[in-house]
Amino acid sequence: MKVPLHGLFLAGGKSSRMGREKASLVVGDGGLTQAARGIGLLRRFCDRTYLSLREGQPAPEGADKVTAIRDSDEAQGPLAGILGAFRETPVAAWLVMACDLPFVSEALLANLVGRFREKPDAPLTAYASSRDGLPEPLCAIYGPSSRPILQRHAARGNFCPRHIMREENVPLFPLPAEDSGALENLNTPEDLAGAVAAREIHLAWFGHLAERRGLRKETVRVKAGTADDLLREIEDLHRLGLDPKEVRVAINDEFVPRDCRLHPGDRVAFLLPSAGG
Amino acid sequence: MTFLVEPHPIDPAPLRAELASRDCGGFVFFEGRVRDHHEGRTVTGLHYEAYRELAGKEGRRLVAEIAAKYGVRAAAIHATGDLVPGDLAVWVGAAAPHREQAFAACRELIDAIKAHVPIWKRETYANGKSEWVEGCSCGAAHSHGPLAKP
Repeated sequence: MKVPLHGLFLAGGKSSRMGREKASLVVGDGGLTQAARGIGLLRRFCDRTYLSLREGQPAPEGADKVTAIRDSDEAQGPLAGILGAFRETPVAAWLVMACDLPFVSEALLANLVGRFREKPDAPLTAYASSRDGLPEPLCAIYGPSSRPILQRHAARGNFCPRHIMREENVPLFPLPAEDSGALENLNTPEDLAGAVAAREIHLAWFGHLAERRGLRKETVRVKAGTADDLLREIEDLHRLGLDPKEVRVAINDEFVPRDCRLHPGDRVAFLLPSAGG
Repeated sequence: MTFLVEPHPIDPAPLRAELASRDCGGFVFFEGRVRDHHEGRTVTGLHYEAYRELAGKEGRRLVAEIAAKYGVRAAAIHATGDLVPGDLAVWVGAAAPHREQAFAACRELIDAIKAHVPIWKRETYANGKSEWVEGCSCGAAHSHGPLAKP
């Protein structure tokens, strides 16, 4: 029998570092709050989608019609929300997503759900962080068989889903290359300002660089102001051996100087010296 | 004044016809063909990859610039995809009233195309290995390595 997949949007955090309810923040995307956007994404994959809230907490803006599940008293933090969901429906697998992940895309969730459908009996289906390789527990699928595991950890005071996943040696999936930054989260007003200022840039790779990078096209979200900043940012991230003295830059199919300013939506290519003829 | 980047096999005949003119007494063309060796290794194939949009723009710019500089008619076409030794990789033509300008323009245009048009090649060797050939970032129109002795 196919395990039903339910969605759980975690909005029960206190957002104390942000100083305001993170689920009610608007970060691009046509003015939707994080709650409205996240619930909309989950609904594309889940037969039912719920809001996870603390006891007595009102629904965030844009999600007031969504059924709320209150935290379980078996744990604290996000784990309390997840155990609350299993208390509601123990036979479902729960696609859990935190309210502070504004860059999660439909493709990222589709890939995760695909991994889960390949092994629906796995207790946990999760990505590895592109920064440190650690589990990403707040955009993950918790199968019905994960409940006793979570409860066992919670009973001895281990409420951190990331620690639990590490201790349980959960097999992790790599983030798709085009979504490598999709699980960056927002904790502070500075993070929010950065996310709002970040530009979406389309990168194209050719020849040897396409081979080193392992793909030909990707969309990245960067704070880089110029092509040169972007080159350094990409080099720090992927170590492609891009030498600023050697690489030429093209924006929107024109050669440009390296200090050329970037604009949202620009198509950028870094090019090794030509070797035609 | 045409510049084309097209999948192998390329056909220079239309460009030849475009350059032919009753007032041009000199017509020089250069054919770059895949060579069966490189730096002592036997080459069995070449793969050319282009940044098509930019290569087209850059190539047209170079053709126009060099044609104007020498007062000639000029055109060129470069192949992409998988080629084997003997195949035509690039064709450059220049036609002028007198041969000096045609020779000079043809020579400068092939050098400029090699140095500036965003096209890269990957060589496959007799042992089955393949490698991207490094271009030179100096930007000067030149060729590398010693010239073959006649």
